[in-house]
Amino acid sequence: MAGQCDSSSSEKKSSEAMNDVPTFSTENMQNNMKVIYYSRTFMSIIGGVIAGILGFTGFMGFIFYFLVMAITSIGLIAKAKFSVHLYFDSWNRIILDGFMGGLMSFVLFWTFAYDIVHIF
Amino acid sequence: MAEDLVLDTAIRDWVLIPLSVVMVLIGILRYFVSKLMRSFQVPDPKIVKEGHIHLFSSFTFRQVIVRARNLRGAANFIPPKSFRSRRVYFSNEKNLSMIIPQTLTFAWVNFFFSGFVAAKIPFPLTQRFRSMLQNGIDLSTVDVSYVSSRSWYFLNLFGLRGLFSLILGEENAMDDTQRMMQMGGFGFDPSKSLTAEKDGLDIVQHEWALPKFEHRAEAVLKKLVS
Repeated sequence: MAGQCDSSSSEKKSSEAMNDVPTFSTENMQNNMKVIYYSRTFMSIIGGVIAGILGFTGFMGFIFYFLVMAITSIGLIAKAKFSVHLYFDSWNRIILDGFMGGLMSFVLFWTFAYDIVHIF
Repeated sequence: MAEDLVLDTAIRDWVLIPLSVVMVLIGILRYFVSKLMRSFQVPDPKIVKEGHIHLFSSFTFRQVIVRARNLRGAANFIPPKSFRSRRVYFSNEKNLSMIIPQTLTFAWVNFFFSGFVAAKIPFPLTQRFRSMLQNGIDLSTVDVSYVSSRSWYFLNLFGLRGLFSLILGEENAMDDTQRMMQMGGFGFDPSKSLTAEKDGLDIVQHEWALPKFEHRAEAVLKKLVS
């Protein structure tokens, strides 16, 4: 975007700091949102399987889910090289987006793995 | 005092795994059918403009989804009243085409997989959920964590959406079930009008920032040339 051929990285710059009014490229924004969503979903599934195999029950499992989400957020922030405002329009997106959808996938795969391993 | 029931291995083999596999396959089938329909059918602008009466003659599930997507994409270019009437029609049609496969699968699950404990959910729930989660099981002393296959179906329904978005590469039609759950057409309304308003706002801001773009373009070109 704007002359920078950054196609090698998976997150694209969505705003330029030179303007007074920050304008966002919606296409890049959507691409970044998609990246976050895919990362969270994938980590939720993996986290669910791990929680099931390790035998977490009840509260421990949900704490593990929050832990996995926090690790995902940190990973995403690190990938954005800690300058979040270049890639997203607010902090909430990179931290909270996709939380609920990931929770359902986590619970499904947690239940599945737990049953297969422990009640088989 | 959670007594640990020992459940038959055959339940795992013949209930949990087949149910999940069937739901995944139905989702994949739905996706490919919609892709096929899209490649066959280029949406005819005359039919879309002419009104709802003619649309019933060319009715298939997947066409509706394709045309609804086009409507969403071009929503800002048509007057708001016609947009709203089209949106109501499309939300009705899309809800129908989503409900029917789900209803069929639900009926199949209820018919074949009822009357026994299917799975144990790893977290405890209160007694109030017992009637919802254990409807095939008539013993009231069994822990609420042991659920019937109907609840396994619902768990799959919500949890497989994430998996579909991963393996099918894009936000396919499954994400509309979320809006459908939120009170049918009501959840549809605010998001659409909000998007329209946000687009309008973006355009207004864009005009004001125009003078700066000349400087930016000049700087960029200078960088490219030098």
